[in-house]
Amino acid sequence: MHSVWQRLKSDHYGMGGLLVVALFALATLTVWTGLFGQGWAEVSGNSWESTSAAHWFGTNLLGQDIFQRTLFGAATAFEVGLVVTGFSTLLGAILGGLSGWYSKGWVDEIILWIKGVLDSIPFYLFAAAVAFALQGRPWAMHLAMIVTFWTTTARIVRGEVIRIRQQEFIEAARAIGLSQLTILFRHVLPNTVHILLVQATIVFVAAIKTEVILSFLGLGIQDGVSWGLMLAESSQEVLAGHFGNFIAASAALFLLLMGFNLLADALQDATDTRGAMT
Amino acid sequence: MKEISFITRRLLYGIVLVVGVTFISFLLMVYFGPDKTFELIGKNPTSQQIAEVRQSLGYDRPFLLRYVDYLFELGTLDLGLSDTSGEPVESVLARSLPISIALVVPGFILGNLLGLGFALFAAWNRGRWPDKLIMGASVMGMSISFLVIIIVLQVFLCTPYGLNIFPVRGWQVHDFSSYLHYVSVPTLALVLVTLGYNTRFYRAVMVEEIARDHIRTLRAFGASSFEILFRHVLKNSLIPVLTRVMFSVPFVLISGSLLLESFFGIPGIGLVTFNAITSGDQPILKAVVGLTGVLFVMALTLNDLLYGVVDPRVESS
Repeated sequence: MHSVWQRLKSDHYGMGGLLVVALFALATLTVWTGLFGQGWAEVSGNSWESTSAAHWFGTNLLGQDIFQRTLFGAATAFEVGLVVTGFSTLLGAILGGLSGWYSKGWVDEIILWIKGVLDSIPFYLFAAAVAFALQGRPWAMHLAMIVTFWTTTARIVRGEVIRIRQQEFIEAARAIGLSQLTILFRHVLPNTVHILLVQATIVFVAAIKTEVILSFLGLGIQDGVSWGLMLAESSQEVLAGHFGNFIAASAALFLLLMGFNLLADALQDATDTRGAMT
Repeated sequence: MKEISFITRRLLYGIVLVVGVTFISFLLMVYFGPDKTFELIGKNPTSQQIAEVRQSLGYDRPFLLRYVDYLFELGTLDLGLSDTSGEPVESVLARSLPISIALVVPGFILGNLLGLGFALFAAWNRGRWPDKLIMGASVMGMSISFLVIIIVLQVFLCTPYGLNIFPVRGWQVHDFSSYLHYVSVPTLALVLVTLGYNTRFYRAVMVEEIARDHIRTLRAFGASSFEILFRHVLKNSLIPVLTRVMFSVPFVLISGSLLLESFFGIPGIGLVTFNAITSGDQPILKAVVGLTGVLFVMALTLNDLLYGVVDPRVESS
């Protein structure tokens, strides 16, 4: 892990990405601790005020402050990203690990079958179906993403576990009589952490992008505000020439996604030992 | 003999997948879906009236029988009536599907061709500035939301704030020029949103192909860049390219059209699905989800069978 950090540090684009992500994380923390962004729902001015000292990014149709809403949107993006990434990575690691460890056995067959089934339903349709079944409960969107996003992580972990399983230290662990699951969870899976890290950054990007689309379709965030909801509002406003909401939300979204994409690429390069050897 | 066992195993797996896909859509859309009893019933119903309505909706039948009913509906394409319009679901689908295909096909083809072109160019110049430029642009493209691309294009091409040469909404297509008029902006949006991902994927494939020994030999013998790229690299990377193209068809068709059509008000399968989501039109949704899943599994199975026949090595994996 130490050498990964060393290699990451020498990657300027990756460090730039990390900085952007860290700044947004800091903004999120100020919202979560109640410091800023609390007035996102408050009507504090007239419709479509332009930028001023009181309203840094102007106001929307209802006279709500766009800067506060953008800031709160960052917190929403992190909330969605962290919940979805956390649970789908955990699920992907456990199921991918089990399926790799017992590969060609019945456990593997069942997990591969579930994966195949979930991968056969286009994602937005699946999210719509879950939201439909849960009838607008606020966690429907998170659940839909977790249930579909773990499959890619599991596929990659499965391949890695099959590779690790053939190494000598696993044979040694078997020889001293450790149980199958102990070897898998204590000695094999910890060796896939670098893969999980890279995959987690990719899932994070996917979760934020998906939230935008689902919120526009009315299947996303139910209470609170997100960049997706701001963009949905702005899709009507821009036709009337009011660009405040649109510019704020799309710029924030682009910066955070770009940061994460650069970070993901740099992490991939830094953890790819195969590339480092050649 | 080996071929026959491969084909039967693959077909059996396809059937098992179809069972899973239909079962999930049954669970989500039918079993846990909204209870329609009280929409169909008058005020102050007696318990007998409630029971009658529930019976007519099939709610009193056992779980597995309801699943089998659903399978029969999908298999015979007898999908019931839409809740909102009262029209048979199969005729709604038959009317809207061609529109969606006409909407996404140009963007889908262009996005893949341009992606392949950029990928070839970047891979051939690996590590030099054209490669860095293309890869940088791809990452930027991947960081822009589909929704943002659509809104920007709409403002710049369809409103007085920009060029104002294309319609903001709608689909009044009766000949080729009106088709171009309505399809251009959605096509551009689809190309822009897929190009980054396509280029990166195809570049990875090409880079691997170019690094092979026989390409180095060809270079050493003085074959022209054009000959190497198009006669050898492109030809040998056709299998991963075609696999990606085939697998992305249902996703682009459904997910792409869902957003494009609901935004531009185009009456294809995406708008039908979007309206069904917002109005809770269960017969439409359960048909769309179930049928897309089944179609995807069929494409997947066909794909594997074809490769198994073409390339005997596929069997062992």
